[in-house]
Amino acid sequence: MKKALIGTAIAALILTGCGGGTTDTPTTGAETPATGGETTSATEAQEPVTLSFWHNATTGPGKAYWEETTAAFSEEHPNVSWEIQVIQNEDMDGRLQTALNAGDAPDLFMARGGGKLADMVAANQIMDVTDKLSEETKAAYGEGVVNTFNVDGKIYGLPTSLLPGGIFYSKDLFEQAGIEGTPETIDELNDAVAKLKEAGISPIALGGKDAWPAAHWYYFFVLRQCSQETIEGAAAQDFSDPCWLEAGQNLKEFADTEPFNQGFLTTSAQQGAGSSAGLLANKQAAMELMGAWNPGVIASLTPDEQPLPDLGWFPFPAIEGGEGDPTAMMGGADGYSCHIDAPEVCADFMNFYAEKEQQEGYAEAFNTLPANAEAAEAVSDPALQDILGAYSDAAYMTVWLDTMLGQNVGNALNAGVVNMLAGQGTPEDIVSSVESAAAKG
Amino acid sequence: MTDPTTARAGAITASARAGRPRVGRADWLKRGEIILLAGPAIVMFSGFVIFPVFMAAYYGFFRWKGFGPPTDFIGLQNYVTILTDQLFLSAMQHNAFIVVLSLVMQGPIAIAFALLLNQQIKGRSLIRVLIFVPYVIAEVIVGTGWGLMLQTTGAVNDFLGKIGLESLQADWIADPKIAIWTLMVIISWKYIGFAVILMLAGMQGIPDELYEAAAVDGASYWQIQRSITLPLLGPTIRIWAFLSIIGSLQLFDLVYIIWGQYVADTAGTSTMATYMVREGRLTGNYGYGNAVAVVIFLISLVIALTYQRFVLRRDTEGALTEKPGKDKF
Repeated sequence: MKKALIGTAIAALILTGCGGGTTDTPTTGAETPATGGETTSATEAQEPVTLSFWHNATTGPGKAYWEETTAAFSEEHPNVSWEIQVIQNEDMDGRLQTALNAGDAPDLFMARGGGKLADMVAANQIMDVTDKLSEETKAAYGEGVVNTFNVDGKIYGLPTSLLPGGIFYSKDLFEQAGIEGTPETIDELNDAVAKLKEAGISPIALGGKDAWPAAHWYYFFVLRQCSQETIEGAAAQDFSDPCWLEAGQNLKEFADTEPFNQGFLTTSAQQGAGSSAGLLANKQAAMELMGAWNPGVIASLTPDEQPLPDLGWFPFPAIEGGEGDPTAMMGGADGYSCHIDAPEVCADFMNFYAEKEQQEGYAEAFNTLPANAEAAEAVSDPALQDILGAYSDAAYMTVWLDTMLGQNVGNALNAGVVNMLAGQGTPEDIVSSVESAAAKG
Repeated sequence: MTDPTTARAGAITASARAGRPRVGRADWLKRGEIILLAGPAIVMFSGFVIFPVFMAAYYGFFRWKGFGPPTDFIGLQNYVTILTDQLFLSAMQHNAFIVVLSLVMQGPIAIAFALLLNQQIKGRSLIRVLIFVPYVIAEVIVGTGWGLMLQTTGAVNDFLGKIGLESLQADWIADPKIAIWTLMVIISWKYIGFAVILMLAGMQGIPDELYEAAAVDGASYWQIQRSITLPLLGPTIRIWAFLSIIGSLQLFDLVYIIWGQYVADTAGTSTMATYMVREGRLTGNYGYGNAVAVVIFLISLVIALTYQRFVLRRDTEGALTEKPGKDKF
């Protein structure tokens, strides 16, 4: 056992030694005011603090945005210096979990709310910022948005952007197939699919290999089929309402018309020209059900790496007899949480990035929708403007089901949907696989 | 005239007999050297291999999401869930299938290739390189490349269409009737080079006199191969089979890259290792994932020990008889 202890000690040394990633230390040299210097009453002489900050914008304007924003914050708070680590999105979860376990967590890090955040809160890892968010922030965000990272009535993070989902489509291909307007009901969507097929165009791109894009189809059928209360009740893993099963049957019926691209089960979502986003970017398919991050992803996959000029967007079609509001939206929120041991100033930074000016910069840099509604004017992409319009008219917005349910049950749900689309499961199996997953967690 | 070597040897023997501390010092020096040179490796090995195995066993007893220290002790419940989970049981079956087929498919082909390449034939070096190249390419690249080519809209189907064999076009990856065979073809393509190299090395270790004697006695080519090459290649084949079995039991990367963690289930190519990664890393059930790791470890251990005990025994018998009475394994 002694040997093992030495082993861990050495492992810990090595791990801290090569923290890896891109470490920019420190981006802003904190100029601590000299004692008795020209410190004004507004900025009191404070202990110098260093905030460690993990985000996932590895390149380009997003990376630059965080460098500028943290520097701007340090101008107002000269005692704050930064230690920024940029981590690839898919690596983030694992790295963060390891850091949290090792007691070496960053002060400020990416979060997306839902069951995973709830798990971290339960493990006493996240700072409660309910009373630390300023009145201005709460007013500018609105109650619904500021509560995105709510756990048991307390706020544990603040979003930077809101990413509702819907159907992205190519206006050119719709025209080519002779489709007028955009489908507002499932019947109209079926008509559009049929017309596209007649015109020899692959109707809907789907990245089934990654499972979650396939599962989104189920989520949206649920969104239209189930009432808001039923969906939100799912956080307690209650799937007894028949609408869960009906949503699966609806999806099965829809999938049986073969609307998806050939080989969709082995198509990934975002990697390369053969991915579902790539099919849209290269006019190989007409539609894709995705979140509001999609214009940026598609832009990176077009032949000239420019935004797709004819990209349009419409909300998920309504379902006859469904209990869900036809204007309701489902989506996610990208944001940040502070570690429970982080300096208080971490929460001040949240109030800072929530300001209109920073949020406008965020919307531009990430080509996405800002969480602060006052910054909405900065959105220029036409597809995103359509989403924004639908968002301001939405009766309510729910979070992606897999996010809400947490990784464990969420993954089982996604896998259940893929199974059904692969022709190896029934709508009943989706519900039962969710129940068996709960046993493992 | 005194021979200096004898003199020194005599001195050492004398001092040893007298039990002078000099020898003890040399002994300690030797130990010091061992600690200095092997120490870091031992520490690293303990820290990164031995220690995690024990930690995995420990975590496997908890319901643990991986945040903070585990607290929710549930005893053997994780293990019960694993051994009753249909997904794990089918992953185990896939592993068994891969183990058997790897042996059956790769062994004979590798021996045939090795026999061929053991002759003086034209272009021998080129063929050797061609066969060995796939083994050197990283799994990630093999997986990505084959994955793209075997897509429904990929190069393989495209090629079949162009040469007028549309009827052979298939959904190579996603169709559960075909997928595991697709995997077997890729595995064979990838690993056969390694088997061939081993077999060739084994063949080259067979003394030429045996062949010469057989030739003098008028044995035919096939008689020679059957009575000399194959029996003397036995140890090589058994070692190769061992490596192949262990590799097949732990197969992860090719499946994970080509099928992803979800489609592997529906296509019937999931393995115990992909199941472990999915249940542990991706669903965040770290306690459960650790228990899966322990199950895989135990299965591999039992198979490895059984194989050594019953198959490799005769090969290692000579090597271990130096200390009579010592239990061989």
